[in-house]
Amino acid sequence: MLQFIIRRTLSMLATFFVVSVIIFLMMHAIPGGPFDGYEMPLPDNIKAKLMAQLGLDKPLWEQYLRYMWGVFHLDFGVPYQSPGETVMGLIAHAWVPSLVLGGLGVLIGAPIGILLGMAAALNRNSWIDYLASGIATLGLTIPVFVISTLLILVFAVWLHWTPASGWGEPRRWILPIMAYAAVPLATYARYARSAMLDTLNKPFVTVLRAKGLSERRIIFQHVLRNSAIPMITIFLPMFVGIATGSIFVEAIFRVPGLGAYFVSSIQKRDYPLEMALMLMISALFCISYLISDILYALLNPRIRLGGKAR
Amino acid sequence: MTDLSAASPALPRPESAKRRSPLYLAWRRFAANRAALGAGIVLVIIILLAIFAPLISRTGPNEQAFLTKSLAFPSSEHWFGIDDLGRDFFTRIIYGARVSLGIGLSAAVFSLVLGLPLGALAGYLGGRFDWAIMRVIELFSVVPPLLAALLLATLTRGGVWAIVLIAGLFGWVNVCLLVRAQVKSFREKEFIMAAQALGASPWHIVWRHLIPNSVSPVIVGFVLAIPLAMMLEASLSFLGIGVQPPTPSWGQMINVGMNFMYFYWHMAVFPVLALAVTILAASLLGDGLRDALDPTLKGR
Repeated sequence: MLQFIIRRTLSMLATFFVVSVIIFLMMHAIPGGPFDGYEMPLPDNIKAKLMAQLGLDKPLWEQYLRYMWGVFHLDFGVPYQSPGETVMGLIAHAWVPSLVLGGLGVLIGAPIGILLGMAAALNRNSWIDYLASGIATLGLTIPVFVISTLLILVFAVWLHWTPASGWGEPRRWILPIMAYAAVPLATYARYARSAMLDTLNKPFVTVLRAKGLSERRIIFQHVLRNSAIPMITIFLPMFVGIATGSIFVEAIFRVPGLGAYFVSSIQKRDYPLEMALMLMISALFCISYLISDILYALLNPRIRLGGKAR
Repeated sequence: MTDLSAASPALPRPESAKRRSPLYLAWRRFAANRAALGAGIVLVIIILLAIFAPLISRTGPNEQAFLTKSLAFPSSEHWFGIDDLGRDFFTRIIYGARVSLGIGLSAAVFSLVLGLPLGALAGYLGGRFDWAIMRVIELFSVVPPLLAALLLATLTRGGVWAIVLIAGLFGWVNVCLLVRAQVKSFREKEFIMAAQALGASPWHIVWRHLIPNSVSPVIVGFVLAIPLAMMLEASLSFLGIGVQPPTPSWGQMINVGMNFMYFYWHMAVFPVLALAVTILAASLLGDGLRDALDPTLKGR
């Protein structure tokens, strides 16, 4: 088990290293630098001085090493768009709205999705099964910004039930939370359904039925526990996946969170902020996959005791 | 499919067992799936609208023919109303279908061109090549496609072909994994061993035996790549770094419509519905084809 964890960790570190190099190179391949704006053209000598001050004149590999050295000390540099603060400081206050709205979205969406999926698996081919499949397909195929736009149209423009956008009083949180909840709800409705069906078809369930156990005990004590493993392992990656959704949700609902900064950093060619966000999100993905893998191994006795993963 | 190809066609069959072609059986399974059938019909209608757009609409997509009636609500004359720049909105929407579907199809072709040979070789050769391909795929799984696409799109400054390339770059992974799994399961079959014993080269075996046997995962991968690419295009265009105006794109129209939606609902509703219906139809069709062509792939 320990060997498995070490091997997984090393391979994740290697993956992250390659991803960080690729991101770094991509960022530097973007045409146009931070001082190439049209509004206030700078004289060449001042531009060169600024580039030297920020270390942008060094060879690429040296820039990469310096940068990663800083990253390990949680120093992501200074964002070009607001030189008064650090990237870390900006992220520190920007993640709050993203986490509150995204977290609430997952915490509301996931349980509803699980219940829906379970109900669908237990009543196959009934109306609730079709409803669950329909919702799952809708939530997984329709882009978040389409769902968000529809939510504003229906609840804010036509029904006047909620404010359309903004951040502040919790009343404004309702629509973004609903938009965030769509993906977890759909994912879990689909996963819970297929995991439950998988388990229900296993021979041990037939044995339990033959033994005369009540259907309720079979489902709550045996089937549920056995189908929980895949549901637990997708939780973390899905949670990190909220980061991608946040770009659209925050742009549409005018929430000052990480996603909103990501969009503005791309539009303003703000390398340090853009790199920091990309690196953090890929690092979070790496870590969440690693934890999921380990959790999966820990929860599944066949892997835990057999010593062989996947 | 698997069990049918396992039965050697050289053996004489008893007269009573009527032979059904696998394609016919697949069609029966597909037609029984009402959601997929409905989605297919809807998609055909949208494709026809896109192809015959110039015949259906009297004005071009960028013609500001109705400037005096800008932002007019839907009427019998202009089904979807007029947009802020005096263009017939229905015309814009059906020309948008051309862009959306065109990008979806081209990106799917590109995913196939990349994913099919790589997946087949990885599955057949195994070993180091397979290891390398799987590591590359692992890289793609760590970076969320949309974020990477955002960066790439700023790098290339958008445009239709840049988006096709980006969507293909992230679409080949699925095709590759599907083909690899299929080839891997066929590698140990007797007819492959026979071909090897006769001295066939690996390339010949992959090209003549393994790829033809992977037709169903290839079709499934291809069809499922289309809605993903359409979604990517719409998302990038929505953020203003995808298809550039005046080329009509639904994502871009939604972006513009957002600013008008509080007073002119038609500006947001129609592109949103067009995009949602098309993507939904394409994914339902893909799911239906997957279930019909290869029941063993179900739920994957």
